[in-house]
Amino acid sequence: MSSLSASNTHHKTGDLAVSVQNLGLTYTTAIDRRPTLKARVKSLGRGTKQTRVVQALDNVNLDVTYGQVLGVIGTNGAGKSSLMRTIAGIIPPTHGRIEVFGSVSTLLALGVGFNPAMSGRANVHLGGLAAGMTRKEIENHFDEIADFSELGDAIDAPMRTYSSGMYARLAFSVAATVQPDILIVDEALSTGDAHFKEKSFNKIKELRSEDRALILVSHAMATLREICNDVAWLHKGKLVSRGNPDQVIDAYQDFLHLGKSSVIDEDL
Amino acid sequence: MSAPQQVYEPFRAGLPPLRKYWKSLWSRRTFISEYSRSELREQHFDSIFGQLWLILNPLLLSGVYFLLIVIIGGSGGAIRYGHLTASLFLFYLVSNSLSGGVKSVTAGQRLILNTAFPRMMLPISATVIAFFKFIPTLFVFLIMRTVLGLPFGWEMLWSIPIILIALIFSLGVAILISTINVYFRDIASFLPYLIRTLLYLSPILYEASSLKPELRVLEYFNPLFPILDSWSISVVHAQTPNLSSMLAASGWALGVLLIGTYFFLSREREFAVRL
Repeated sequence: MSSLSASNTHHKTGDLAVSVQNLGLTYTTAIDRRPTLKARVKSLGRGTKQTRVVQALDNVNLDVTYGQVLGVIGTNGAGKSSLMRTIAGIIPPTHGRIEVFGSVSTLLALGVGFNPAMSGRANVHLGGLAAGMTRKEIENHFDEIADFSELGDAIDAPMRTYSSGMYARLAFSVAATVQPDILIVDEALSTGDAHFKEKSFNKIKELRSEDRALILVSHAMATLREICNDVAWLHKGKLVSRGNPDQVIDAYQDFLHLGKSSVIDEDL
Repeated sequence: MSAPQQVYEPFRAGLPPLRKYWKSLWSRRTFISEYSRSELREQHFDSIFGQLWLILNPLLLSGVYFLLIVIIGGSGGAIRYGHLTASLFLFYLVSNSLSGGVKSVTAGQRLILNTAFPRMMLPISATVIAFFKFIPTLFVFLIMRTVLGLPFGWEMLWSIPIILIALIFSLGVAILISTINVYFRDIASFLPYLIRTLLYLSPILYEASSLKPELRVLEYFNPLFPILDSWSISVVHAQTPNLSSMLAASGWALGVLLIGTYFFLSREREFAVRL
């Protein structure tokens, strides 16, 4: 189980941050979004399938070193989010092995906000404690988080009163402020208004440093071209290619039979 | 090259590495206390009136049941009333743990999808919350039994291991039901029936000693039966509970906790893709 507790080890550029070896992930998921006993009993004897087996990742090998900013691209259902979740330790792999050399902070699609009835402050605290931080570490970061999110007094209001933009801002602030060795951002850069979008984009740029590894999942090709120094392309659970951002993204866009158009380049 | 801080590998026999699991659970105990506290604050149980409500609810219920018993011709009296109230209070610990635990995993969806942590923390928190709600009722009962003039005695200390057994049992059922709810989200709507049935099958409205001999078999099928029976004997009658009931109660409680934990751990991997 990962821990966000600050590690004192210093990482040098080129040191291994994440090593993904022969990773395979298969899981069973319910077809119903909200499976109920009632529905199950009613369909007894009908022979309808209740679950679906998903092969999300298949023999993926991927190393990420410190100093690297890796963009992950692919169509919907390519396994990008599954890969991020396995690296973060949220879903254990079915095959293979993942080694992580440092603390990981994740900003996956959903962000913070575990209990909507509680205030933003309580949620940040609980989220941090769940991620393995100590009370003191959270206290130390809290003002910075609240500042960055620009939520003002709303930080003490229940999170159910937040707009989706406010949710996203708080989530981004938490993930970006805790100074992780490895930061994973899953399609969360294009949230918030134009002002916050630029602010978070700049924050990501600022976080690019010699002793940190960033993994960004995005469909915004222009952003990836600008920030990343490495891109991996996943398709149907397999790693298709990896390398120079421009080359990989060009190949991906060719594959999609799309030219360069502003629609796919922009953060939409 | 230093050793990796974290290694993720496929689970063996469907279970996460237990030692590591336990360690990360223990290191996150502050989460459990913080969560329980914010949840209680959220439900306003940190205020005087909130606490009052907590006590008033089972107290009113015991009053209503007492009325029922007297009307349908049972014997009234101080012992009867004391037994009813004490049993209801402990029963509420289990039922609060069940009703709090049932949605603990599904409600923690955002956290589960976003953070790696031992998911067991969520139902554990539900039981801790139920326990915090139970504590004030203990004091109320102490005052009440003084007013009712029930006998005092050292035998009442047996209540401590009994509370512990009840807690283990509560934790077991909370863990079990939180897992089931991931697969069947409507379990919560069956819960009131389950709790009602448990209430009537347990020696709460009646005393275990007054039960017909052929109905005494309930003792073996209802885990709460020996727990509540020993509880009443020690705190109401101030006598030493039957050792075999205590053993049966511990056996049930540990068994349910073990089964629940196994079930939870073997399914936990799926939670992130099932929510």
